[in-house]
Amino acid sequence: MKQSLKTKLIASSALAAICALAIGAGTAGAQSASDVPAVVKDGKIGYVLTHRYWAVYQTPEGKVECPKGYNDGPREQFKALFPEDGTKRTLLETQLMREGRQWFPTTSEEQFTFKDAGGKISYGMDLDGKVKDTDFTSPDGVKGIDNQMYRAMGCISNYRAPEGTIYHFENEYLRRYNTNRFMIELSGVDSLVNDDDVTINSYRGMDQLLTDATGANFIPGGTQRIDGRFGGYVRATWKAKIVDGVLISEPADVTIPASATFDTSAFQVFKGMRFQLKLTAERAEGVMAGYVDVAAFNHHLNTSWSTHHQSYGQLSAPSMYRALRRLADGYPDPKTGEMTAISSALLVKFTQVYIDHPPQATAANGSVVPQTVQTSRQ
Amino acid sequence: MRRLGSVVSGTAAAVAALIVVPAAQAQDKYRPPVTELEDYVREPMPPGFGVQHTDVDGPVFVDAHGMTLYKWPLKDLRNGDTGDRKNKEPFCANVKYTENSGLMSPYPPGLVLPELDTRPTCEQVWHPVVAPEDAKDVGKWTTLKRYDGTKQWAHDGLPLYTSILDKKPGEVYGATARETANDAPALREPAAPKPNVPPAFNVKTVATGRLLVNHVGFSIYVWDKDGPNKSNCYNECLKDWTPVQAPQTAQAQGEWGIIERAPGIKQWTYRTRPVYIRVQDRRFRSMEGSDVPGWHNVYTQKDPDPPQGFTVQDARIGQVLADSTGKTIYVYNCADDALDQLYCDHPNAPQVYRMAICGGNDAARCLATFPYVIAPANAKTNNLIWGTMWIDPMTGKKAEANAKGALHIWTFRDRPIYTHSGDIKPGDTNADAWGEFNGYRNGFKAFWLRDDFLDNVS
Repeated sequence: MKQSLKTKLIASSALAAICALAIGAGTAGAQSASDVPAVVKDGKIGYVLTHRYWAVYQTPEGKVECPKGYNDGPREQFKALFPEDGTKRTLLETQLMREGRQWFPTTSEEQFTFKDAGGKISYGMDLDGKVKDTDFTSPDGVKGIDNQMYRAMGCISNYRAPEGTIYHFENEYLRRYNTNRFMIELSGVDSLVNDDDVTINSYRGMDQLLTDATGANFIPGGTQRIDGRFGGYVRATWKAKIVDGVLISEPADVTIPASATFDTSAFQVFKGMRFQLKLTAERAEGVMAGYVDVAAFNHHLNTSWSTHHQSYGQLSAPSMYRALRRLADGYPDPKTGEMTAISSALLVKFTQVYIDHPPQATAANGSVVPQTVQTSRQ
Repeated sequence: MRRLGSVVSGTAAAVAALIVVPAAQAQDKYRPPVTELEDYVREPMPPGFGVQHTDVDGPVFVDAHGMTLYKWPLKDLRNGDTGDRKNKEPFCANVKYTENSGLMSPYPPGLVLPELDTRPTCEQVWHPVVAPEDAKDVGKWTTLKRYDGTKQWAHDGLPLYTSILDKKPGEVYGATARETANDAPALREPAAPKPNVPPAFNVKTVATGRLLVNHVGFSIYVWDKDGPNKSNCYNECLKDWTPVQAPQTAQAQGEWGIIERAPGIKQWTYRTRPVYIRVQDRRFRSMEGSDVPGWHNVYTQKDPDPPQGFTVQDARIGQVLADSTGKTIYVYNCADDALDQLYCDHPNAPQVYRMAICGGNDAARCLATFPYVIAPANAKTNNLIWGTMWIDPMTGKKAEANAKGALHIWTFRDRPIYTHSGDIKPGDTNADAWGEFNGYRNGFKAFWLRDDFLDNVS
């Protein structure tokens, strides 16, 4: 297949470390001489998502990227707006007014200064093939990294490792709730080392992840049934190639189920999303990067995490919304020209899984129709 | 587009011809329009009290006028607890709270509550069930001394109330037996007798009825290929379905029977049908097994159907109720953050909570974002759970019939239902969890009829 992708591989040091942890020596042993491990059946191999972290490049105590400290959250902003000075205030003019802003944010000026993440280094990919002033350089020196989402969330405690509430709990709930089970299946695989034409299909699974006795480590070789009844919105098909053991996908519009706890059912939509995943017979680990619709991000944030939970990590959704709008760099509105989406990246890990294709998964009822993925536009 | 009759599990048809066991103590001033009614455990009770069958909450205790009784169990909230403690003085009293408590708020307490001039006290909304001075305890029915020295009836240690929202027997508008997620308010519950099921079983209220589950919480199923009091599920069938075995000492009683499926192996039957659990069910209250042809969930009592024209749509975690165009239906949940946790999800309560969430305190935007579901002028229902009302869309309050600008809308539990402007195609549920605490404290939840991932709680 003609290789048309221009995406640059970002083998950042952090990413390399992530990969190295899980790939291990045993993986190499699983690879056959023909580069087609035994787990590849009829040219297919499946992986299930086990880790999904917004790619936030951190220096010790954030001194480089957040020299002025971290952003304030709902509680701090409330205190600044309504100081405890003995004034009697109504619920309507305070709490309910602020809660209304969560759901109907604006881009008008506010009295709070939003602290963008600075610095020159970020994880991510060059999504537009250009090197711009606003771009970052990867930890390994690749220029042109598009990750304006990092500017918006890099100085918000909620998204920072290891104790940010969203950083931690998004992954806790990814693993705990089967509604969040996201799988990719590679087909047409002739080799896990070099193959210039493979196809990716995404599905929602229905089952718990297979772990070791600690419950914290995910074991390859599990089985996941495809949710053929209600998981149609997760389905997508797109192309990729494998270069020196790294899966490099074309851009695609992909929906990932991403609900939190408390009986929520949210999902996240990525436009022009692409993978760079180090592949083995047991794992697929690396970066997924693409554009996130700003309105959809804000909607996901608020329908997943209440103001109470956002307060845990000093995340003010209305302030972040303003920042996202200001920093948005993709998918201009056809009428206004205003950018509607923002470049982003996530560090992800998948574990090999056998994907069970039940008859109803392919013979979909009316609502389950495989998505046709549009070629990315920026 | 599927109409409601094709929904969810087909269980109604599956159990349509089964035996109804009359509820001897039920006052039945209202008879839900469903085929079977749930049987319950009889218990001695003081004079005047009884049991009333209801549309969606099963049998409930009622007072001498047939009005539903409620209790208010203590609940831990984020920053403290509130509610009634067992065998203690009832907390719901003649106190008019003027400030919020901060029990469910990221912000400090002490904010002035809305519409103070008309705000009722707790006992004006939840009327204590007063006991005469010489009242005698009967079984679980006891009395508690109130703040003013009067006595209040209690059941199982919790004081009993009636709701200002209920006007006639069979109405359960004050609260529901359906479970909610963790961050819901400290809600009241209907006081109810125990369902008459063997210890191996239980009954849970879900959006489609009173679902029979085993004692752990897994759904019970029946199979069309079984005969009356005869199981035909052997060999291959047993790989997917596990008969619910009855102990050797178990006795048949009422709707519950026992068959011997093999020498020494007994199996429970319900309304003459052998019952099973599904091997692949991973979550409580699952309805996945009803997708297998011939297999059905079991209900002690099905909910009445929604009015004609409503539809059911497949969505991203299950099935939702939708309007005639396929737009998902939403319910609005609200209880204020005062210590008495008064409801604010009803048109006769302050509307500023809802207006903040649905429109940023802009009534027109609220109406555009969460439109009411319009009912035809001649709309009628044959039950108490679905109804209509006239509403002033700019205030959110009830209006006189045919008043200028008023809308005639559908209601569920005597409260308006809504659609969402952000839902584009059938099955979209984009406003699910919209509001404070994911739509449970002050916000909107999709009207899920079935979910395959979240235990079928509301």
